[in-house]
Amino acid sequence: MNATTLSLKLLTRQSRSGALIMLFAGLVVATAALAAVSLFTDRVGRALERQAGEVLAADLVVTGRERLPDEYLDKASELGLETAEIALLSTVLFVGEESHLVDLKAVTEGYPLRGQLKLADRLGAPEEALAGIPEPGTGWMAARGLRLFETDTGVQVDIGRRPVTIERVLAWEPDRGGSRFMLAPRLIIHMDDLLASELLGPGSRVRWRLLVAGSESGVAEFRRWVEPRLEERQDIETVAEAEADTGRALEQARRFLGVAALTAVILAAAAVLLAALRFSRSQRDLVALLKAFGAEGRQILLALTLLLLWLALAAIAVGGLLGFGAQAIIGQILADGPAGELPPARLLPLLGSGSFTLLLAAGFALPPLVALRGVAPMRILNRSLDTRPGLAGGLWLLPILGALTIPVLQLGNLRLAMIVLGGSAVLAALLALAAWLAMGLSRQLSKRTRADWRFGLAGLHRRRGQGIIQITALGLGLMALLLLMIVRTELLDQWRGSLPADTADHFVVNIQPDQTEGVREALIEAGAQNVQVRPMATVNLIEVNGEPPPDHRWAGQVNVSWIDRLPPANRVVEGEFFAPDATGEISLAKRWSERTGVGLGDTMLFEAGSRRFEATVTSMREVEWESFNVNFFILLTPSAGEALPHQFIASFRLPEEAGPLRAVQQGWPNVSIIDIGALLDRIGEIIDRVSRAAQVVFFFTLVAGLVVLLAALEATRDERRQEAALIRALGADDAMVRRGLLIEYGAMAFIAAVLATGGAALTGWLLARELFEFAYQPSGLLLVTGFLASFVLVIGSGWLGNRSVLRTSPIRILRAGG
Amino acid sequence: MGFSVDAPGGRLDILKDISLDLNGGETLAIVGASGSGKTTLLGLLAGLDRPTSGDIRLIGAELKSLDENARARLRKRHVGFVFQSFHLLPSLTALENVMLALEIAGFDKPRERALGALDQVGLSHRLEHYPRQLSGGEQQRVAIARAFAGEPEILFADEPTGNLDQRTGESVADLLFELNERHGTALVLVTHDMRLARRCGRVEEIEDGRLVGRRNGAVAGASSA
Repeated sequence: MNATTLSLKLLTRQSRSGALIMLFAGLVVATAALAAVSLFTDRVGRALERQAGEVLAADLVVTGRERLPDEYLDKASELGLETAEIALLSTVLFVGEESHLVDLKAVTEGYPLRGQLKLADRLGAPEEALAGIPEPGTGWMAARGLRLFETDTGVQVDIGRRPVTIERVLAWEPDRGGSRFMLAPRLIIHMDDLLASELLGPGSRVRWRLLVAGSESGVAEFRRWVEPRLEERQDIETVAEAEADTGRALEQARRFLGVAALTAVILAAAAVLLAALRFSRSQRDLVALLKAFGAEGRQILLALTLLLLWLALAAIAVGGLLGFGAQAIIGQILADGPAGELPPARLLPLLGSGSFTLLLAAGFALPPLVALRGVAPMRILNRSLDTRPGLAGGLWLLPILGALTIPVLQLGNLRLAMIVLGGSAVLAALLALAAWLAMGLSRQLSKRTRADWRFGLAGLHRRRGQGIIQITALGLGLMALLLLMIVRTELLDQWRGSLPADTADHFVVNIQPDQTEGVREALIEAGAQNVQVRPMATVNLIEVNGEPPPDHRWAGQVNVSWIDRLPPANRVVEGEFFAPDATGEISLAKRWSERTGVGLGDTMLFEAGSRRFEATVTSMREVEWESFNVNFFILLTPSAGEALPHQFIASFRLPEEAGPLRAVQQGWPNVSIIDIGALLDRIGEIIDRVSRAAQVVFFFTLVAGLVVLLAALEATRDERRQEAALIRALGADDAMVRRGLLIEYGAMAFIAAVLATGGAALTGWLLARELFEFAYQPSGLLLVTGFLASFVLVIGSGWLGNRSVLRTSPIRILRAGG
Repeated sequence: MGFSVDAPGGRLDILKDISLDLNGGETLAIVGASGSGKTTLLGLLAGLDRPTSGDIRLIGAELKSLDENARARLRKRHVGFVFQSFHLLPSLTALENVMLALEIAGFDKPRERALGALDQVGLSHRLEHYPRQLSGGEQQRVAIARAFAGEPEILFADEPTGNLDQRTGESVADLLFELNERHGTALVLVTHDMRLARRCGRVEEIEDGRLVGRRNGAVAGASSA
């Protein structure tokens, strides 16, 4: 019989062997988790590729804070290039009494120069690609915006003082930018409407973009011409740069999901190793027999390797299919609407995850099987004459190498891989230690209990090595899922609840000096509370202690403000806050100082227009940023500030019962009202979606944990059946055997559930403290639900995996050699 | 009484036309070649399984009419076991192994009884040891203590010295018969070892599932047809 036939016979004859099934399950879970993540990131990657050139809606874009000079336009036309202009602006829009922040985009004829817009006539209607831009007096709004306003096409909105009718639903714009999650919904209007809206007062926060497209040489020529002419706050964007930005966003998402997938892979690898060891043990008699009958070690080795290969190939097929389903769910969760714009998944990434599964099989399952080569044929005469089962020295290196290589390949980043691996190892070690302590304690307790408790708890203790692995594996999976649930449902809510009642939730920016009083009164009229209006100027930081700032990231333009006394929600931590009539002094926020290294006693030289002025840092402030008051890193003395060209910024809280801000927006069209509450809602929604997507991947982690549990059960099944048969022979009835098992599994489930729930709550608390600076208190309901779900899951799986033990007949005790 | 199983080639009779009786305090050895059915017979006599034909009456109860749980109740009060491979639970200490059987049977003060039983087999100094810390002979003595602790009316022993060297085997056998005599327990013993078998009052030989002969044990040693 050749090795292939032998391997197939071994596989088919033992297809119902528990160890083989567990080996297969471990490989399937690892493949599925990997396939899901790689299929999904491939879709996102291709979506970005497809947009190459579209990400800008042009070949080159000149950006500026003010409308770009006509000569740029003229030069581009002269070079035979197409051009269009865009103005971008965040503004609050009113529909009836309902107001929401929108991302306004005003465009001129020709937009987009690359790519196409997709539109629908109304919500839910089919999308179609369309050339052209909105007619003056009409606009196209993203579906999310229409849903926010609870309206549909045909509605009229006011942009500043200009009424605009929403004619179509905007389904797709090529230049949405790197983020798949825009904070505010998009509204596209004609440039003429924006120009007539009075939103463009002095100092308004509009970003202007000049789009240029055409022949490669023409674009290059234009770039060479425009570059030396660029003024301050003007810049050039090319497709490559825009892609680098979106690439970064993609990379972050990929790594996040990759880390999630990795925990599943690590656990699945543990399950594969456990199952392979067990399978290998169960094959020793067979291998001894084959050898006694004359099979060569080499032939057996080849047959076992092939057997593993068949198993891995089958796992790649099944796991690939599961992964395919999971990536569809992730895509659905992360897409902005049901009609996500991601291209359909393709099978190519499965090649990658498939090779990965082969590596996993080779690293974790092959060594125990290869070790069978060393089985002594004398075993068939007397088992004690066999060599000790285990792995030949060097072979242990394979799983270790595999364990180290896999995360690196998966994450493509050595440092991150080591952090994830190290972090998981520390977490696993903590869980294992806690499990070990809990089991020791349970054994001590069992000495004072009844027979069934003692039998059950002693069983747990006897298999404590396995038990610790099972508890750790399950604990990790459950903890990850519970933590995401905590973040999704409670952490953000509690954080917002922890903010003081008068925390500002709106900003008004771009208030001109002569408008401050009017705006303040109108805000108070509308019911706004805790209104704070503060001056703001933009200046250039030229020198620190006589030297140019060493780091370009914080050199150049900085926003400054001035005040005659320490602002609320600020605390001086070093030095002394300047007196109202002081000159040449400056106060820095601690956070900015830590970032830049500028500290107490340093001298800073600023430039505003043609004017230069110098000041010395005389105090450092700790700022409560979460108060959402207007706060500045750099505070000048009033005498220095008032001489600068400036505008004002207001923060306030708008209680639910307050009236609409329509009067404010319409009275002063140049100011921009920013609804922080709505932004926080949107951020919360994004976190919710990302958490849910990660939960899909962490689900595989949990399944991997369950496979570890079942593989360990499988490995101890014979032992358990023997014990059950013994106590049956001694007169125990079904109920007692069942109770013993329930107690053993109940204790394990209890420990795993307590560790997972406690670990998730503790991690949530740490997250809250470190990131959000408040004391998170997990709700009893969530903890109880998490605990019960974990408990039932573990005890249920243990029960299912142990059914055959319950059916053991006592006569077995006379049959087994022991 | 007979016992058969369904095998791929058809019905397989393992025990055929067995008829046997044993009185209180009597000792019986069942001997026979491997595969002759002696272990199956022991299992059936002890109520670990039910005969497929005929019936077995154990301590006044007809086993055929009892389900597994009812037979378990019968065993825990009236039956003791000693096995070839000792079958102590590795996760429990010597004392806990003996206590477990007493607790299953619902005895009062299981700890005191277990201490007494271990004292009788000379293991008072090994109470907190786990089976892996005990020699084979000591493990079998724990098993004997476990078997006698509940003062069963009948004790079943399956090759009780089979896994022990000759000297240890003899001392374990001495202990077994000594306790048997002291407690007045009936003893059914399955063994290959004719020397051990002959220490019993009666020896039955089984061949191919049938009892083929009765020999006198300790008293004479002659066989009868």
